[in-house]
Amino acid sequence: MSGRTLEINGRKVWLLENGAGPPLLYLHGFADVHSVKESWLPFHEQLAKNTRVIAPAHPGCAQTDENKDIDAIEDVVFHYLEVLDALQLAKFDLVGSCVGGWVAAEIAARHPEKIRKLVLIGATGLFVEGALIGDVFMNAQPEYGSSYATLRDMLFSSADHPMALEMFPDGKGDLEDEVRRYQMLRFGSRIGFKPPYFYNRPLRNRLHRIASPALVIWGDQDHMVPRSHGETYAKVLPGANELKVISGAGHSVHVEKPDETAKLVLDFLVK
Amino acid sequence: MKPVQLFCWHFMAYPHLDKDFDETQYSGWVTVPNSLWDNRKSRGLYQEYIDQLAYADELGFDGMVLNEHHQNIYGLMPSPNLIASALTQKTSHGKIVVLGNLLPLHMNPMRVAEEYAMLDQMSNGRLIAGFAPGGGPETFNYDVPSADTREKFWEAADLIVRSWTEDGPFAHEGRYYPLRYVNLWPKPLQKPFPPVWIPGSRSPSTMTEVAKRGYCYFLSSRSHGGETHKAQQEFASVLEKHGDRYHPFRFGILMSTYVAETDRQAREECEEGVWYFLKNCLKGHLRRVGRQLTYGPGVPYIPAAAWREYLKHYKPGQKLLGDVENWDELDASQSIIVGSPETVIRRISGLIERAKVGNLLIQFQLGNMPDHLARKSMKLFAEKVAPALRHQSLQQFTKEFPGVNVESSAEELH
Repeated sequence: MSGRTLEINGRKVWLLENGAGPPLLYLHGFADVHSVKESWLPFHEQLAKNTRVIAPAHPGCAQTDENKDIDAIEDVVFHYLEVLDALQLAKFDLVGSCVGGWVAAEIAARHPEKIRKLVLIGATGLFVEGALIGDVFMNAQPEYGSSYATLRDMLFSSADHPMALEMFPDGKGDLEDEVRRYQMLRFGSRIGFKPPYFYNRPLRNRLHRIASPALVIWGDQDHMVPRSHGETYAKVLPGANELKVISGAGHSVHVEKPDETAKLVLDFLVK
Repeated sequence: MKPVQLFCWHFMAYPHLDKDFDETQYSGWVTVPNSLWDNRKSRGLYQEYIDQLAYADELGFDGMVLNEHHQNIYGLMPSPNLIASALTQKTSHGKIVVLGNLLPLHMNPMRVAEEYAMLDQMSNGRLIAGFAPGGGPETFNYDVPSADTREKFWEAADLIVRSWTEDGPFAHEGRYYPLRYVNLWPKPLQKPFPPVWIPGSRSPSTMTEVAKRGYCYFLSSRSHGGETHKAQQEFASVLEKHGDRYHPFRFGILMSTYVAETDRQAREECEEGVWYFLKNCLKGHLRRVGRQLTYGPGVPYIPAAAWREYLKHYKPGQKLLGDVENWDELDASQSIIVGSPETVIRRISGLIERAKVGNLLIQFQLGNMPDHLARKSMKLFAEKVAPALRHQSLQQFTKEFPGVNVESSAEELH
């Protein structure tokens, strides 16, 4: 596995890199590489067949140093501007899932000139009245002593999905997976625990700056971010066509339907 | 040296839940529907509870203890300072222990500094000031992001004490609570400042921070097997590392008791209140059934390295206090000590002897226990149990801690 560490202003940033071709920055969510698994998931391996996938771990996740100055999404965006400087990426494809999708949209709204194409998968980030993003923290507290069924249900189409059971098992899972899950929740708590809950109200009115082609993908059984959020992204992003809904998938579309999702993304990027 | 200090702790539970609460409701915390609140039945409830605390003062307890909780049936004191304020006017002897105000829940810690200073003045210097960070349920109730709760907590605690001790106005250039004009009116009465107690659940970092500042450590666990003794030893060794020395009044514990004329009568009289407390009030807090909100990865307030250490010893699905299934199991947990005065003396003095603890914070009213039973138990405790505990503990502490002048250490100098 080709992981490496960037040094940014005294902080370490851990990233994985795979494949050759045009650069693609991937920003992870809750059920993902870095936030549960140490290595790539099948979705990312598919992307790496045609692109050079670069996936940094968010601050405090995996081996990336925690950054106590992060209080809000703005601080995360600035962190990634530093990462982009270090990677010397002038123009690239940007793909983000869940919270990673939110960060991607925020980066793109500020620096549209850097983005060749943008892909959002089950992205948080928007405020849609009457459609609150689910409380991942409450659901991460065990039920009946050791059950994470409601957390799995929130992040997947069903609590019994094999990938859900592998990534978020009841009781105590693999120690390193458990620690990565915890680190992701800790990172998430800095930007999404207090109101605004994983959204940034002004974002919607900033999306018009993103002129690049955009693709918005949602699972038809997303139990964390209501589909109306995806519809809003697809409507407001100037470069997006209609929302691509993948049936039989929950919030973690790319984990549940890796081939289908990767094909959609690659077709869009190559087109 | 002084004998063990005996405090009466009231949680102020909501006592009017229907008998089928546990079967029909998912939790007693955060999401417990407030449509269950019955105004007709609850009229006079605060008065009843405040009067029980005032009765403790009359009976000669060393103090009364209150704490802060939100949105639950376990403790109806979102603002313990309001109850403390009433106690300043209804009592005249005992300490008023607020354990504590949940600092990260306040936009501005100066509000706590001000109210505590008022309470100290209003009570003629009887305040013991508790600071707590708040647990999982409060994190959800008040949307306190977890990752920086500890840092916020200690910044707030230090700012409050500085505002009590340093003349203002001064500017506080903090990370979380920058303030241009800190200039407290009124100041607290006690000098240099009221005793500070900090609750913890044996995390070494909390013990270290408490030791650095010379405060009193309060173990928030409700069960007292061998673990209490271990916690005391851990705290004592942390104190030594900081060039300080343990004595019994640096340490406090929470326990519950019910005393009646005989063992059998005691159990019969308290059992309904005890099970109400265990099954209803602890649901969502110290029970596996439903969702355990107090501790878990959803409130990630300790650093990842500390979580890794915790996970190594963590046994998923372990029974918590509210999961006890029968009286014998409950009895073995040493959480609620029930019996005749002789039985209660024997068991509590055993605990003091082993854990060398000088501050016993005792819950008498449990769950839906009626007023007359809570009072009867308090009275028997004060008349039949307390004298023996005081006598024995004074002998023990004098022997085990020679040369410790408690009056001029913990309480006066911190």
